[in-house]
Amino acid sequence: MSNPSTVSAVHPAEPGILKRFIAKPEFGPLVLLVAMVVVFTAINPTFMSLNNIGNALTFTVELGLIALAMTLLMTAGEFDLSVGSVFGFAPVVMWAFFNAGLMPLPAAFLVAMLIALGIGLFSGLFVTRLGIPSFLVTLGMLLVVRGAALWLTSGFPQRTWDAGDQWLAKLLVGDFYVGGLRIYMSLIWFIVLAVIFHYVLTRTRFGNWTQATGGNPGAARNRGVPIQRVKVILFMLSSAMAALAGIISSIRVSAANPNSGTGYELEVIAMVVIGGTVLTGGRGTIIGTVLGVLILRLMRNGIVLIGVPGLAYNIFIGAIILGMMALHAALERRHNAGT
Amino acid sequence: MSDESLVEMRHIEKSYGRVHALRDVNLTIRRGEIVGLLGDNGAGKSTLIKVLSGAVPYTSGEIRIKGKPVRMTSTNDAIAAGIETIYQDSALVPQLSIARNLFLGRELTSGHLGRLDLDRMNEVAADLLKRVGISKNIPPTTPIGSLSGGERQAVAIARAMYFDSDLIILDEPTNNLGVAETQGVLRFVREARDTGHSCIFIAHNIHHVFQVVDRMVVMRRGTVVADDLSPKTSSIQDVEDVITGDHILV
Repeated sequence: MSNPSTVSAVHPAEPGILKRFIAKPEFGPLVLLVAMVVVFTAINPTFMSLNNIGNALTFTVELGLIALAMTLLMTAGEFDLSVGSVFGFAPVVMWAFFNAGLMPLPAAFLVAMLIALGIGLFSGLFVTRLGIPSFLVTLGMLLVVRGAALWLTSGFPQRTWDAGDQWLAKLLVGDFYVGGLRIYMSLIWFIVLAVIFHYVLTRTRFGNWTQATGGNPGAARNRGVPIQRVKVILFMLSSAMAALAGIISSIRVSAANPNSGTGYELEVIAMVVIGGTVLTGGRGTIIGTVLGVLILRLMRNGIVLIGVPGLAYNIFIGAIILGMMALHAALERRHNAGT
Repeated sequence: MSDESLVEMRHIEKSYGRVHALRDVNLTIRRGEIVGLLGDNGAGKSTLIKVLSGAVPYTSGEIRIKGKPVRMTSTNDAIAAGIETIYQDSALVPQLSIARNLFLGRELTSGHLGRLDLDRMNEVAADLLKRVGISKNIPPTTPIGSLSGGERQAVAIARAMYFDSDLIILDEPTNNLGVAETQGVLRFVREARDTGHSCIFIAHNIHHVFQVVDRMVVMRRGTVVADDLSPKTSSIQDVEDVITGDHILV
């Protein structure tokens, strides 16, 4: 591996670089993304304007942060439907504590994150200790957490406009300009976290355990991999990322609405599977997820710019999911046919 | 084969509620021998193996390894005691590479954050593949999912040999394999014995068992009914009779 030229000399039968690239799960989503950019720009050149790109990237990251954690969780063979609720609940908790004067904003932020970790811990223990499918456990949590957010606030949004001069708010969502491009700090966080998550999944022992846990839990357990602990950690991680994303969103839009994030869980799962991560576990890709995130967000942005009614958005998303699944399945079959 | 005993199981009992899965099982495995474990479905073979690999706790009895009593409460205990079990379906992770499977749970890392030393893992794996003589030139980065059944067994056996397990338990290693592949796997098992590892070989196909084992142990209704049948002196028909209970040889 350290010397690719020897490797190819010893194994002349290995497929060429192009063929291997095409066989990668990220290939399909990459082609789709490029095609989308080309088509949208051809129809409406403002699609590629700095202003539009800046906007699209801003919206991208909030769901993207959740998608990164969901990728690891799904690679380990589980998923979390409660992320949308946590997205709404965490900022409500943070702003309620802060607005009531109970604690400074950073402390309220910490409390909200700890509660989110607790939600993930609960789901994780429920799934691993009681052996209940994550679909049912996190569906229950979805309702509990959403209900808690609505009950705490009586359904009213929490005000967040005191956030402007807080260093925490600047750190999370402050903006700056690069040339004419307005960039929010949240984008930087997304990029940094995507790199870290990719590294963890592909280059660390924990990543190896995550893939093994989803790929063949029995084998992983027999090798002494603590598969239950891996899953619990990943449930906590996805819950924490949902909370972080919700808090970032609440600062950006200056409102913590107890209803926000409704339906995000399915959009996040869609992003992850479009990127090539397998719903049943064992194989996951952060690069694919980043592509999946961009595809869904640019699609939302692009179809409006080219004059398709915004309400038709879901038709396109559904079609993309179906198309991508067909493509991944076809690639999988071809991949296995050679053995 | 030496007379030195590696694993001694004494009066092992295991009940699942009111079901008595193992009754007073006594079994000794010596160093460097291949023991065939035979028995009909429900005879208690797999329960015995699970007990020995730490996957299920036994109700009473004693296990000694190299003379020392051990208490096995988890698969990690068994691995630490030098017992490696290769199950049919749960030995390897199909999505991971050969090298990552070899080191699963015992990854080579560098630094503190659990960074995998992939270069070294691949290097060791390539070397190991060459040593066990997997015929084709397979790079260690190949996912297990694209290997044949025999190659997968070879990887699992190579792993047990690499980590110097004293006892390698093979659960139906020749299931669903073609003739040539079966011969390959039997060769690996012999090689493991010849390099000083003991093996317990479980297979439904008695012909495969006869080709490779030094002695045979037969279980029926949760207990050992014969533990020193030799493939040299017993016929397949004799052994089948013991398994079904038509004859008692001992």
